[in-house]
Amino acid sequence: MFRKILIANRGEIAIRIFRACRALGIEAVVAYSEADRESLPVQLADEAICIGPADARRSYLSAPAVISAALLTGCDAIHPGYGFLSEDEGFAEVVRAHELTFIGPPPAVLERFASKEGTRRLLGSFGLPTIPGSDGMLRDDAHGLEEAERIGYPVLIKPSAGGGGKGMRMVRSPRELESAIKVCRSEAKAAFGDDSLYLEKWLEDNRHVEVQVVVDRYGHGVHLGERDCSVQRRHQKILEEAPSPALSADARADLCERALRAVVAAGYENVGTLEFLIDEDGYPFFIEINCRIQVEHPVTEMLTGIDMVATQIRIAAGEPLGFSQADVTFRGHAVELRINAEDPEHEFRPSAGIVERYLVPGGPGVRMDSHLYAGYEVPPYYDSLLGKLIVWGPDRPSAIARAAAALDELLIDGLVTNVSIHQALLTSEAFLGGRVTTNLLDRVGSAAFLAAAARV
Amino acid sequence: MPNERRPIRPVRAASKSPDRPEADSARSDGTRLEDHAAIDRLVDELLPALVAKLSATQLGEIQVREGDWRVRLRRPADGVVPRGRSQDRSPDRASRAQPGHEGHGHARTATEGHRTTRSAASPALSGSSGSLGSNGSGSLGPLPVGHGRPIEVQTRPASGESHRVVATSTAVGIYQPRAELTPGTRVRAGDRIGSVNMLGVPQEVVAPADGVVGASFAEAGDAVEYGQDLIAIELVTALVDSVDGADGRPGGSLGGGA
Repeated sequence: MFRKILIANRGEIAIRIFRACRALGIEAVVAYSEADRESLPVQLADEAICIGPADARRSYLSAPAVISAALLTGCDAIHPGYGFLSEDEGFAEVVRAHELTFIGPPPAVLERFASKEGTRRLLGSFGLPTIPGSDGMLRDDAHGLEEAERIGYPVLIKPSAGGGGKGMRMVRSPRELESAIKVCRSEAKAAFGDDSLYLEKWLEDNRHVEVQVVVDRYGHGVHLGERDCSVQRRHQKILEEAPSPALSADARADLCERALRAVVAAGYENVGTLEFLIDEDGYPFFIEINCRIQVEHPVTEMLTGIDMVATQIRIAAGEPLGFSQADVTFRGHAVELRINAEDPEHEFRPSAGIVERYLVPGGPGVRMDSHLYAGYEVPPYYDSLLGKLIVWGPDRPSAIARAAAALDELLIDGLVTNVSIHQALLTSEAFLGGRVTTNLLDRVGSAAFLAAAARV
Repeated sequence: MPNERRPIRPVRAASKSPDRPEADSARSDGTRLEDHAAIDRLVDELLPALVAKLSATQLGEIQVREGDWRVRLRRPADGVVPRGRSQDRSPDRASRAQPGHEGHGHARTATEGHRTTRSAASPALSGSSGSLGSNGSGSLGPLPVGHGRPIEVQTRPASGESHRVVATSTAVGIYQPRAELTPGTRVRAGDRIGSVNMLGVPQEVVAPADGVVGASFAEAGDAVEYGQDLIAIELVTALVDSVDGADGRPGGSLGGGA
């Protein structure tokens, strides 16, 4: 097992990793940028080391700075969290070259799953239903038109690299396709330095369901069930829950088992998430895999009682999983609300400022993962996630009722948050009925959604 | 550089010094008047130059001594690197920004640090920068409190300390000062004074201002973090230069109670 881990991330996930280290008796060093000098992870950690300026490219995204900090502080492993360097196979390789351990899949595994389109074909060959799409990357416009014709409009143009909705466009005709390809190429080039694009069949009213898997170095794997992340705005998840209201018990078991079989066969290692779209008829299509801990992992922790970050660390250290599928039990229902520093009344524009007052809700099944404290100044340089309110209940209605009560208790004064969109969601018929599709908020419009909720 | 000058509205009154207990209520009216005159003179003559200097060098803090008084100009410790015109000419200067480098380690409570920042908010140096886009006009009027990056101004009688700036680490790595650089060596702004080896790649550390090499805060071979104090540069000549070169006026009086 590791003796000392460098946490190469910030915000709530840095604290989450720190807590896992504490539970495992491992020392934790927080690597931070100048903008995060006063942050809670820096204050909590056993040690903290400044690795660069506020600009993430010279701090949290700088492989040399992170690795240098790990070596100087005598760490034997680096936890990248999510985002930043978490899925960068080049970084993982350099970490290993310095005789440190990257906490995540080994570099070769990251490389095998690096291309979204390649992963779709790989896992398809191991029996996963994959979304119909182009045969490889689009060589040129003519190839794009040809493939779109074969798949059938509407199609979604997707970049091979990256995520977060950049370089993605849905098109309904050849004419739209031709102009959108140019835009997507330049967006993808700017965002990820890679302009390769592919096509996916566009599913009109789909749900986003993902399966959590854990596989150790020795090929023993379990699935930890699924999470439903259909509540999205412009491809960004806002609220997640498990179990998914979109799946029957049989469909759930079938999906999770097929996902696990495919990734084990494909040689995956460590924690990973397979994302699926579920079409209107309940049929699942694999879209991509995330080779890291995810923001919404607490939903799974609430249902299974398994500390996923500790498990991730143990597997990276070479320990066997230590439990089998039969040992994994799922209890009740959990909902996670992402509390963001953004203004739902103004196109969700990000806000920053000083947290004047901060009160965390409590009660049975209520958990708040956050790096906030009263007096903390939220810096404007990074993503807007302030924390995650995770609520468990014995069944879906009670989990939702507890979530609504907890949301009422939550107090964050001093900056604008997206709490109002959650209040609207938790009282909306679509959500209460378990019928939210990924396009709902964008189709209805957030403003209309908020207004409708206010009338209830 | 007239549009580099920011108005300053100092918010801290001249504070009592441990060296001069009589500076408090016990002092005579004559002393008080003298002090006020001295403060006014410092504000008129010195602050514009210091502000220009702080702006041009991207330093976190500048401290100078004038007779019995010490003037310290400090950026708030919020990690913000202003992007002024001077930086456009010399992009690597951003790396020397050192907000609150006197507060290394994590001893200060965050609450205090930020409360100070906000309550002590005075017109922002960064107003012309455009990086936050809040005050791009370059106007000389007072800017909104709590907006942009304020500069905190403190003046107090000095205790004999010379004015200096500090070169800070440009990377997290192993520090190697230039061997021939001994205390007393004259350096010009931009001269290489050492490097920090980050994973085999040396990152240059350069003098932030013209001056004379002073105390070292790190030894050759030390592990240093980004922004750590490395070496002091005594601003023996810089002050004269900057005072000559500046003609701006501050935007307010020093200390409302003075």
